[in-house]
This record gives sequence, C-alpha cells and structure tokens, in this order.
Amino acid sequence: MKFGNLVIAGLVTGSIYAVFAVCVSVWYRVSNILNLAVGDFAMLGALGVDDLVRVRNWPLPAAIATTLAVVAAFGYLYDRVVLRLATEGRSATEGIVVTFFFTFALSFFIDGVAKVLFGTDVHAAPALWSGRSLTILSELHVERAGILVLACAVICGSMFWLYIRYTLGGKAMEASGENALGARIVGIDTRRYRRIIFTGTAVLAAVFGIIESPITGYTYLSGATISLTGFIAAAYGGFRQPGRALLAGLVIGIVEALLGGYVSAQYGDTVLYAILAALVLAWPRGLGFGSAVSG
Amino acid sequence: MRALRPAALTVVAGVVVVLVFGQQYVGSVFVLALCYGIVTAGMAVQIGFSQQIVFSQCVFMGFGAYGVAMLNTHWSVPSLLATPVVMVASGLAALLLGSIVTRASGLALAVATLMLPLIATGYISSAGYLGGSVGAPLTGNLWAGSTTQSIAIGNGLITVAVLALVVLAAARILSSDIGLELYVLGVDEPTAAAMGVRTPRRRLELFVLGSVFAALGGAIYAGTQLFVPATLASPTAELALLMMLFVGGRRSVIGAVAGAVAIQYLSGASSWVSVNILIVEGVLLTVVLLTDPDGLAGIVHSLTTRLLGRLASAYRPAAASATRLPVPQTSLAPVTPLASPVLTPEPAQCHVDPVVTGPMSHRAGRDRTSAGETEAQVLLECDGIGKEYGGLTVLDDVSVTLPARGLFGLCGPNGAGKSTLLGIIGGSVPPSRGRVLLDGADVTRLPPQQRFGLGVSRTFQAVHLIRGRTVLDNVAVACLASHRSGMVTRLFRSELAEARQKAAQTLSRLGMAALSGRDVTSLTLESQRMVELARAVAAGPRLLLLDEPASGLSDAERGRLADMLTELAGLTCVLLVEHDLALVAQVSQRIFVLAGARLVFDGDPAGFRASPLVNSLLVGL
Repeated sequence: MKFGNLVIAGLVTGSIYAVFAVCVSVWYRVSNILNLAVGDFAMLGALGVDDLVRVRNWPLPAAIATTLAVVAAFGYLYDRVVLRLATEGRSATEGIVVTFFFTFALSFFIDGVAKVLFGTDVHAAPALWSGRSLTILSELHVERAGILVLACAVICGSMFWLYIRYTLGGKAMEASGENALGARIVGIDTRRYRRIIFTGTAVLAAVFGIIESPITGYTYLSGATISLTGFIAAAYGGFRQPGRALLAGLVIGIVEALLGGYVSAQYGDTVLYAILAALVLAWPRGLGFGSAVSG
Repeated sequence: MRALRPAALTVVAGVVVVLVFGQQYVGSVFVLALCYGIVTAGMAVQIGFSQQIVFSQCVFMGFGAYGVAMLNTHWSVPSLLATPVVMVASGLAALLLGSIVTRASGLALAVATLMLPLIATGYISSAGYLGGSVGAPLTGNLWAGSTTQSIAIGNGLITVAVLALVVLAAARILSSDIGLELYVLGVDEPTAAAMGVRTPRRRLELFVLGSVFAALGGAIYAGTQLFVPATLASPTAELALLMMLFVGGRRSVIGAVAGAVAIQYLSGASSWVSVNILIVEGVLLTVVLLTDPDGLAGIVHSLTTRLLGRLASAYRPAAASATRLPVPQTSLAPVTPLASPVLTPEPAQCHVDPVVTGPMSHRAGRDRTSAGETEAQVLLECDGIGKEYGGLTVLDDVSVTLPARGLFGLCGPNGAGKSTLLGIIGGSVPPSRGRVLLDGADVTRLPPQQRFGLGVSRTFQAVHLIRGRTVLDNVAVACLASHRSGMVTRLFRSELAEARQKAAQTLSRLGMAALSGRDVTSLTLESQRMVELARAVAAGPRLLLLDEPASGLSDAERGRLADMLTELAGLTCVLLVEHDLALVAQVSQRIFVLAGARLVFDGDPAGFRASPLVNSLLVGL
C-alpha cells in the first residue's frame, strides 16, 4: 500500500502544480506573457486570510471575501496601469522583456509587501474542511484538504479546457493571443480578455492558496517556488494548452512522490529535474516548444 | 576602438572607488557588486544581445566559487592561482553541458536550463564536502597581503582588472562582425540561418562564454568574500542576476555592470532599503522597463542624445534662421528623404553586379570565367520532391532542373506548394522524399547556413529585415566572412568594416546608397523589399530564390523591379515565385506552374500565355 499512498500524495502535490500551470498557460494563451507572479497571488491569499482571522479576529467568510477582493482589485489595477503601458505605451516592448520581466518584477514587489504585512514566519489559512484524514480501503490515507485541492484542480482545469474548446468566448480569447491585431480588427476586445483572465487567474490562485495552505504552510517567499513549479508544468503543456498543463502537473507530482519514496528521499527531486530537462531536450517539438517560441 | 571605452571607464571608476573607499564598508559592497558585474557582463552578451535565455549562470557562478574554495581548502592552492584553473575547468564543463542543452533554442532552452539551478541546489545541500546547505568557508584571499589594508586594496584592484578584461572582451565581440551575427541570431533565427550564420555553433559558443564569465565571477567572489553561501547556485540567485541585467540594460555590457553595482549598492546603502529590498527591486525594474526596455543604459543613452541635440540646436538657430527665413518650407527638408523612392529613377544607375562582392564571390568568379559553357550546365536539380505536413500532401513528385543563368518563374494558385518548394531548395524545409542536387552534389540534408555558403540566397514572402539595425547592417549581414571563425578570434580581428564596405558597394550599385544609414523600420514596403533583395544579391549568389518580391508594390515599382530582375538573370540563376503573371511572363525565360501539389506546366512565356490549362488555373478563364 506504500505505492497507493505515494500516488495519493503525488496527486495532491501534482494538483498544486496543475492549477498554477493552468493559470500560467491560460493567460499566456491570451497575452503571450508568462505570469511569473501566480504563486505570489496564492501566497497573498493564504497569508491574507490567516492574518485577518488570526491577528485581527475577523470571521472566516469575511476574511476570505476581503482578501479575494483585494487580490482582484490589485490584479485589475496592475493590468490597467503597468501591463497596458508595457504593451501599448510610448516605448512599447515585445519579445523577452515583456514575456518574462514585468510579472517577474511584480512577483518581487508582492513578496516585499507580504514581508512587511505578514512577517517572515510560516503560516496557513484555517482549514476549510477540518478533521482527521480519511481512510479508504483500510490502508490508504487522504488528507481532507488534499481532496479539496484535487477537486479544485480538476474542476478549474476542465472548465478552462471546455471554455476554450467549445465556447465563442474561448475562441475569441485564443484569437487574442494568436494575433492581437487581427482579433481587434474583427471586433474582439483583446484588452478586456487579457484583463479578465489576468484578474481571474489571480483570484483563482488566491482561492487555491487558501485551500492548499493547511497542507504545506506558506511564508512570504513561497510564491516564487509555486510559480516555478507551475511554470515548469505549463512548459510541458507547451504553455498554450491548459488541459495538457493540468495533466503535466499531475504526472510531475506523482513521479516526484514515487521517486522520493522508491529511489531516494534526498535525491528524488534532483532526479526529477534531470528527467524533466532531458524530456525538453529530447522532444522539444512534441512538447509544443516549436510554436511557443516568440523570441 | 569603441570597444575600449567601456573597459577604460571600468578601470578608471573602479580604481578610484577602490583606492578611496577600499577599506570602508562601501568599498566591500562595491567589490561584491563587481563580482556580480563580471557575471552580468557575460549575460548581456548571451541573454540581452543574442536573446538566448538561459537560467544557468548561477550554477556556473557556484561552480567557480566552490572550485576555488575546494582547491584552497583541500590542496592549499592560493585563490589567485586557483581562479584560472577553475576557469579552464568551467570552460570544459560548459562545452560538455552546452553541447547537450544548446541543441534546443528559445523557450525550450530556457526551460531546460531552468532545471540546472534546481539540480545544483539539490546536490549542494546534500553534498557534505561542499558544506551542505550552509556553504563553504575558505582562507585564501585573492591578494595574499600582510595587512588587512593591503588585502582589501589588492582584492579590489584585481577584481577591477578582471572586470575590465571581461568588459573589453564582451564589448569587442559585440562590436565585431560576429556581434552582427549574434544580433541577427537573437532577433530572427531563420533569417540568420538563411544568411549563412552557423546558428547551433554560435549558440554553443554563447553558452560557453556566458558560463566561463559566470565561473570567473564566482571565483573572484570566493577569493574576495572568503565564504561561498550555498544559495549562490539557487534559482533565487539567478533571478537576482537577471534583475541586475535588466535594470542596468540588457544589451549594453557597461549597463549590465552598472545594474549590478546599482542593485548591490542599494541593498547595502540604507537599512530601510535592505529590509524592503524586494519592493524596491520590483518597483525599480517596472519603472525602468516602462521608461526604456534597454534599462538604465538606454535611459542614459537617450538622455545624452537629447542633451547633445539640444546643445547643438542652441548654437545653430541664429545662423540657420537667417538663411531659412525667405523660404519657410525648407524647415521640412530633413523629412523629405523619407518619402523619396528607393530606386533612383534613372535606370542607368541600376548596374547589378552580384558576382564581385560577398563570401560567395570566389565561386561565382570562377563560374564567370567560363560563362559561355556554364549557360547550358545544370546548376540545380530537384529530383522527385515530395512533402507532407501531417496527412496533407503539399508536394508530390516534383522535379525541376535549372541552368546556371537565367530567370525562371514559379506560379500556382494559393496553397500549391510554391513557398514550400522554395524552402526545400533553400534548406529551411526538409523534404519528405526526393533529392536536391546543387552542381551534381546531393545537398538534401544540408542546413540553410551551409547552402548559403554554396551560393544559395533567398528573400522571404513576408519581409524579414532585422529591426533596430540600419539598412547598411542589414545588407552587411550577407557579406560577413566570419561564419567559419570562432568567437575568440574576433577579439583580435574583426572584418565588420569590410562587410559594411561590400554592403555599401551593393547598395550604391542598386542606387540605394542614400538609404544606408536609415533604420529599416522607417522604410516604405517597397524600400524594405528592395533592401531584402539587395541583401540576397550582396553575397553574390549563384542561385537566387525570390518569394513574391512584387507583392504590395505599385505598377511603377514593379516596372523598376522587372528591369532589375532582367539584369540579374544575365549574371546568375533566379527562381521567382510570383502571383503577378504579367511580370512573370515578361521577365522569365521559362515558367513552372504548380497546382494540387504537382508540376502541371513547364514551358516558355509564349506557351504559358497560350496554355488553356494555365488560363483556367490562374486567370479563371
């Protein structure tokens, strides 16, 4: 049953990667920008709720609502001001500067603010579904938060996939990323799509941070690590396919758990990263890198 | 000579700061900043200028630092001696690692190298002999002086000297002919390959250069700080390095060094800043990039240009206004060249002579001596070419044979496979079946850059000029003689001036000399197409592949193009893909028509005009 428990643990970690991978790839699809600050929004959600509940004694629902509202407002403002200037302003830029570095600066900024507001200790939002871990088939143990995390990942991923695949809005969103000018000419408000998805993924990340934080616990620096794993999983979905990103996240999580359990607890991650690097090098086109390169 | 300026600036500023503040806290912050500057100077070449995003610099910085620490602690090698040893070792390691990872490019390269700091961090934290997750201390100062004072000054001066050498090397490479290759490689890799740049080799060289500089920075870090923290090779350290590079100015070597100094100074300057360094860095990077994508270096550059312009105009108006008063419109004079046509209207100036210039000239010259007999000789032979994309057959058993001179048209409805055939001949598209022979030699498997060396040159359906460079440099790309040389040789000898001279000759022969100083983005579409044609011609090709050169041009412009094509056809073999049937019929001596993936017509213009098949396919009669 060691194998079964490892797979369950891997699925939970994997769904963490998966959700952030979905957020990164959905927004990349609309805007051709890699959001390296997704994880920081999650951290903001978890630590914000914790701060309001634990330090200021707010009721949990009010704390969650307020935190999400703040994240949404911040995401909206950031897109309105900084990203708009960056992509359409006087000295508008393209290529690697926009792709990587604006949200990278945002990540630094959010971490710095969180350090001032929440300090440097490990905290977590209160568990939404508390209680002892559930036991299935007498030997498999599942954390309740883990079930929430997995459910959230699957629902978000499949919703985005269905949205892109089957709705007109999804097609319009795809068009905004493929060719912004062409999309605008046929009447698609590309800015609106970009803004909605940016704010939406920020809020989604924050929600996810609140659900997930009881499992791992967050510090003000956790965001960067989460963004990194999300970025890597998104990369294996070619940065454009949320469905594949979701799958990649789950598989990476399971492989990581199995390597840790059977190969070496110490070098498990190292082996995993080596495998991931080898995959990119051996099979770049199959992973969708051929089309994702924008220079 | 221009490359000397940043190095001289580094030496002067560095020596002054080290001598004045050497023994104070500020001095030690400065020396630490210079260690990072050594790394970011290499990043400016690799990541900023050539746009090869890699996340492995911190790993090599750790390699250099740990290398010196281990040599010093276990074998008592002095740090100053350990540094060159570690440099050589890092070069070999980078060559080995680079030959694996640089097979990828773009985002794949970025993601693959992103794994390296993660692997390194995992390894270091569990390797006991490296000090685990704490780090490794060492005792050997870079400068083994007797007093703390002489150690501080000595360490500082050595660091400044190393940095100055690194800056000099980086600046020389960027201003050499290989610098132009690297720029094209960064902006548009397919064009670089079509113009003969050996892209895989350049990517590997860039990786080795960036890694060796990073290891050198790490070695100096160990020798001056006397402690190697385990976090030196972590992803966080890589992000800090990227922050320095982009704040300072990604394309400028001196800017990258200034960025390192600025960020390190900020974090050491005041306690408020060092506590809130993340906020400061985040805001700083956003504001700088919004102001100028080229960072502080870009801001300083545009400020000085504006200031100089202001100064110059402050002296001029008094004299200028006196002469200009009678005819006020002349104030518009500097603007008018923008609207003037590219090709001078007098056809007398359009003497196209592609065989004299460019890296292919020796072959072309040999051909010209025997012009009489080569007329009938076969230059290009496409034998049973087939191409499928997924399940879609784009070309099916197409065979074309072209002689050494003349102009040949290739027509067909949209989607007939014309551009694909051109790509297969040029080498950018691998065929599914069949062979491509050039002078009887099988070149089917040769990449575009090697076919360029054999005399195949092309233009693109959509204009592929290099933005941010002048017309002259865009043409000079095709005249570079550096393709076979290593990057290191260009530290001592650059032939950029020769390439530019050849480009200038080609431009003036085509009557476009007036454009040579202009940025390509400011040109009209006709001018851009003409510049691309000039670039294709400048190398003195034997086989010129033109993909719809007339699209988007007016009738008058097409007339000038036709004259030029006719002249070219007397010197070389031209394969022209074009939708303008009148133009094709006017200039071609033989015309091929592709339809439904097959060659359906092959004949002279008269037959082309008369053919009912061609009329029904292309004219709709």
